[in-house]
Amino acid sequence: MARLMDMGLEKLTKTVLQMAELSEKSVATSIEGYSEGKNLSEQIYEWSEELRKLQEEVSDLAIELFARYQPVASDLRYIKACMEISYGFSRFGRYAYDIAEVLQMFGDLSECDHALVEKTAITTKEMIRKSIDAFSKRDVELAKSVRQMDDIVDNNYREHVSKMIREPKLDIKCVASTTLILRYLERIADHASYIGDSVIFIATRKHAGA
Amino acid sequence: MALSETLEESEISDDLEQTSLSDQLTFEKIGLSKLETRSLRAWYGKNEAIKRINLQVPEKQITAVIGPSGCGKSTFLRCLNRMHEITPGARTEGEVILDGSNIYEPTVDPVTIRRRVGMVFQKPNPFPTMSVYDNVVAGLKLNGVRDKDRLNQALEKSLKLSFLWDEVKDRLKESGAGLSGGQQQRLCIARALAVEPEVILMDEPCSALDPTATAKIEQMMVELKKGYTIVIVTHNMQQAARVSDNTAFLYLGELIEFGLTEMIFENPKQELTERYITGKFG
Repeated sequence: MARLMDMGLEKLTKTVLQMAELSEKSVATSIEGYSEGKNLSEQIYEWSEELRKLQEEVSDLAIELFARYQPVASDLRYIKACMEISYGFSRFGRYAYDIAEVLQMFGDLSECDHALVEKTAITTKEMIRKSIDAFSKRDVELAKSVRQMDDIVDNNYREHVSKMIREPKLDIKCVASTTLILRYLERIADHASYIGDSVIFIATRKHAGA
Repeated sequence: MALSETLEESEISDDLEQTSLSDQLTFEKIGLSKLETRSLRAWYGKNEAIKRINLQVPEKQITAVIGPSGCGKSTFLRCLNRMHEITPGARTEGEVILDGSNIYEPTVDPVTIRRRVGMVFQKPNPFPTMSVYDNVVAGLKLNGVRDKDRLNQALEKSLKLSFLWDEVKDRLKESGAGLSGGQQQRLCIARALAVEPEVILMDEPCSALDPTATAKIEQMMVELKKGYTIVIVTHNMQQAARVSDNTAFLYLGELIEFGLTEMIFENPKQELTERYITGKFG
């Protein structure tokens, strides 16, 4: 027999998955805008705001579940993890908007080399997808694999910064815009790893690295 | 006896994942035990209600015992002060160690044990024909105390400890039965405290009370643990989570899991505990 709390937990899961879909779309669109030189910041801002509101919904729902049912053990851990995961998805939205803003701030970037950003974005988007799949399937191995990919994104960012320091004569517009976007992708990758950690916490009762 | 030694004697069913008690509780966290059961078993006729329970009750802490109806919670509690044996056909086996001595030794007087290990029941049961005053000092009088000053001192101390003094100090001669349900329960606690027990056993002490009266008793319990060791049986898991330091989960007469309350309610080790506390049982 389903418990009264199960309805609330189901709603919580649905909202988090709704956030997952929207945040993934936001990041993909922001990278597409960068690659194709399209200013999509208005659209991405709207999605980012929607994500922020959905995160508030998750928090409100979690508080309601605490107040109504005093969840314990796996229920408590699941709600806590959903709050953390929804924060991660809302950050994806915010960084997607930040990426879109780079184009607005720097103007035409068609002369710049897009290769490193695009290569890094492929890994980052894969991390997002894996973190979402890990959450929806409660797949611990998939969740662990997200963190393993984080080094690739970190290295791309660090190497770019080193190169920038070594070669100060590079085009400042290209260098600065690439640095900013790589930094946002690096932050997105971190949050994808945190989402993976939360999935591990839900499934195994253990904090990642514990 | 070291905690780990007790563990080795533990006989939790083989089909349950064995959890080292020392994983859950450490001496630093729980301190010394006041009361300990060793391979405790209890029967009603041929029905074994308690099955070889090994448990250490830490001193000056609140230990909650939870579990579904019929799991043996109350029977377990009644074994801790030799009240179980009062029931016709009931018997026990194993040991209950109070401050290092087995209370089931043939030479031990059960009445002395029941004075050292007091009990508060589910339904407030003040002596209906007695005044508030007489209810509180009844145990002392029964033990031969006649000195008025001593009785008065015990009365005031017990009523203050049970958070009742301010409410009844001007009604001491009135009938105890005239108090509200919550006040009656606190009167019973005062009565138990008057004989200066070392351990207080509480069997569902708030199940007949409203939330306000329940909150008063819970606050009082937390104050009382400064001087007393408390064991509470409750089917209200939120109450166990609110007041207790340690929680034991019993199922079909067996101790399934015992640990720090925060651990039991946030991250229990046993699947059975998890299912029970999340309401996925049955």
